[in-house]
Amino acid sequence: MRNQIEFKVYGNYALFTDPMTKLGGEKFSYQVPTYQALKGIVESIYWKPTIIWFVDEVRIVKPIQTESKGMRPIEYNGGNTLAYYTYLKDVCYQVKAHFRFNPHREDLAYDRNEHKHHNIAKRAVNVGGRRDIFLGTRECQAYVEPCLFGEGEGAYDKVPEIDFGTMVHGMNYPDETGRNEREVRLWRAKMYNGIIRFDRPEECTLVRSIGEGTSKAFHTDNMKSVDELHDEWFEGRDTV
Amino acid sequence: MSWLANLTQTYNNNILSVGRFETKKNGREYALIPVSHTTQTAHIEVHLDGKGNFSTAYVRDKVEGSTIIPCTEAAASRTSAPVPYPLFDKLLYVAGDFVQFCGDVKGTPYEDYLAQLKAWCDSSYSHEKVQSVYEYVRKGTLIADLVAEGILHVDEQGKLRDKWAPAPSQEASEKPPIFNVLASDQSSAFVRFAVNIPGDPEARLWRDIEVQQLFVQFYESSLVDMDICYVTGEILPVADKHTSRIRHSGDKSKLISANDSVGFTYRGRFRTSREAASVSYMASQKGHNALKWLIDRQGITIDGKVFVVWGNQRLDLPEPHQDALELREAAQELEDYDEDREFEEDFDVDAYGDNSSNSGNPAPAGDTTSKAFAREIKKAIDGYRYDGEHYAHITIMVLDAATPGRMSITYYQDLNHEDYLDRLEKWHTSCYWQHRYRKDKDNHWTTFTGAPATRDIAFAAYGPRASDKLVKGLMERILPCIIEVGRELPRDIVRSAVQRASNPVGMETWEWEKTLSIACALVNKENEKEGFDVGLNTETTDRSYLFGRMLAIADVLERRALGREEKRASNAIRYMNAFAQRPGRTWSIIQSNLQPYQAKMGTDARYYNSLLDEVGAMLNLEDYTDKPLTGLYLLGFYSQRNDLYTSKKAKEATGTSDTQQGEDNDTQEEN
Repeated sequence: MRNQIEFKVYGNYALFTDPMTKLGGEKFSYQVPTYQALKGIVESIYWKPTIIWFVDEVRIVKPIQTESKGMRPIEYNGGNTLAYYTYLKDVCYQVKAHFRFNPHREDLAYDRNEHKHHNIAKRAVNVGGRRDIFLGTRECQAYVEPCLFGEGEGAYDKVPEIDFGTMVHGMNYPDETGRNEREVRLWRAKMYNGIIRFDRPEECTLVRSIGEGTSKAFHTDNMKSVDELHDEWFEGRDTV
Repeated sequence: MSWLANLTQTYNNNILSVGRFETKKNGREYALIPVSHTTQTAHIEVHLDGKGNFSTAYVRDKVEGSTIIPCTEAAASRTSAPVPYPLFDKLLYVAGDFVQFCGDVKGTPYEDYLAQLKAWCDSSYSHEKVQSVYEYVRKGTLIADLVAEGILHVDEQGKLRDKWAPAPSQEASEKPPIFNVLASDQSSAFVRFAVNIPGDPEARLWRDIEVQQLFVQFYESSLVDMDICYVTGEILPVADKHTSRIRHSGDKSKLISANDSVGFTYRGRFRTSREAASVSYMASQKGHNALKWLIDRQGITIDGKVFVVWGNQRLDLPEPHQDALELREAAQELEDYDEDREFEEDFDVDAYGDNSSNSGNPAPAGDTTSKAFAREIKKAIDGYRYDGEHYAHITIMVLDAATPGRMSITYYQDLNHEDYLDRLEKWHTSCYWQHRYRKDKDNHWTTFTGAPATRDIAFAAYGPRASDKLVKGLMERILPCIIEVGRELPRDIVRSAVQRASNPVGMETWEWEKTLSIACALVNKENEKEGFDVGLNTETTDRSYLFGRMLAIADVLERRALGREEKRASNAIRYMNAFAQRPGRTWSIIQSNLQPYQAKMGTDARYYNSLLDEVGAMLNLEDYTDKPLTGLYLLGFYSQRNDLYTSKKAKEATGTSDTQQGEDNDTQEEN
């Protein structure tokens, strides 16, 4: 598929906090990553405001296991409290994602060179991402490697269906929707033979508005164009 | 499925149990509480007629008094500010003449209560009996009526007495029952109502399913704040506050709470907790009530940590924390549910003979062979397999609170029913050894082969005085090894158990034997691939195993030479700790100390000597060093010792051996 990248992301721990448990501060992870968490990983691999990443599918490779740790979160007054965070243990996911140009970024039309963005993204996957990768929360460091989606054996290959119920899908931000509003999307997550196919963000019907927001302005002064970056990385070499 | 959705589903699957009290083994009652209800202990039961007239009243004690009462969100989390329950409550709220008898009160509890009850009566969800309660309470004569009935007691000023102080004239009279059921003074008594209407068999309002349902509907209709529910995904009335008292009635910890006045929990992208997440009232109530019920019904609590396992099709399942013996007994109960056990006991001749003596029961013959025992385990677990439930799943949940007020789910697994049973079977057939430390349900010492209970593992690793905190931590760490694929036993636990088992001098014999067999089970699990067994492995040339065998031979030889009367520890046992650390050097000490006993036994020692030579010959020369032994030496020790005793027993059976050896065996098994 055009503009697509496939990669494997793995780490010792992951915490995709279930928002219900976040309110009180005893964080407990969802069983599987949310769309937004994976989108964040893809954006850490490579992102520019010109493009929007869409996560197509995720494959859960290792069995879902949890482990709790005692934590000392900081309080506003500077003191500490004690909490138990429950993490997913020893996780590995295969992800398939593709990008499109952000239609709400007419100001960045000059930066739309599909071929170059795609090549830079593929290179970024090969080197493990441009920024550090983490699974859900900052303390869960993760690693990215290129892979063929679906290769190797997975723990849930033979499980026809698992229903994870209603989950957070992701957040809508003004720069991607064109609306000056922040929204949370929910969806009903189901896994078939170890693979979750995500609904497109715009297809999600359960959307809650959670306040206003505006998008940041980008222009040549605060952003490097794709042509410059491509030249810098590939130095005019043939990249096909 | 997410934890709350899973619990909500459990509630819906067990809808038939709602509102029904069941009794636990210890006599405590528990029930799956209906939505919008909670439980309270009532002290006074007031009976009315259909027109709202007082007929009689009773004092109820703690056991009779447990009552399911309607409850609003506000009342459920009331603290010092008076918020009335909708139907039953304390005198402060229910009695219109409270001020007259008890003095001033803060706020207007009685008026609030009355207004709330009136709203229910005026709605389309009203009920004749609730109307009657309203009519009666409106009169405001409750305390006066109760005093007239002799339930409550007043002093000379006409106020309610704080505590029972009989006047000199009535010294002989007994303490009135109301003072026995109340912890504090009379004004804190909790009142429930029963309404007797001719033709209606159920007078008790708190047991009337119809009244409960009407209240649920009434309360639901009053909820207007709608939002998307994060559990069901539907737009429903949302819960503002969530239930506490999940683990037990005094527990204030909540699974869902919001406290961002102090900690960085959700603020940033979200300003209010409502922006961060919303849960519908029904999902919250159902989920929490189901969890409370499950914990009451089948949870294990250690130092505040709760372990609970349940199935969505069938609630009762084998527990991961059970040892193999409990597992088999539970399965047996499942099997012969209605078989008359007393009958069996009457004709069990052994039961009489063995009751007084503390000696070990002879092991069932087939029990020690690994195949027979694996069959037993399989049989026990197969008792929980049912046809046509391949899609059933089970949930394992562990809850704990780090700080009072907030509770955390510290472990959560959602597994297929079959997978779970397969993994339990795997655990019991891989982390196993022969144990003699348990009594069976008829209170006899018994030998069983299988996995030890996690609690016993904790005692083996940390000693019998291990604190609950240590035990619960270990139980949570072992849990994944039992029910997850490919998890190794935590190294430190195995090492600790091996170390304690290597130090027999510091313990009573029975305790050491227990530690030894549990350590063997753990070592066996750690070396699962090698396939060691209780039966002696004469093939292996593993250094530690062979050294262990030599130690056992030395021990048995000396024991025999000492005779039955002599209880002191053999040299082998005394040097065990040093032997595990520096086997080469320590063995020469043990061997030189063995000489007098070999001499004493004379030709009787020939068998042992030749056996020692045989084992020693198997040991590679370069392995005869002071490198510390691995846990495997315990397996070699146990198996060799066991083999020496049982082989003699076999000889005994054929009638060729002397009695001394058989008695030796008893000495060893004695706990």
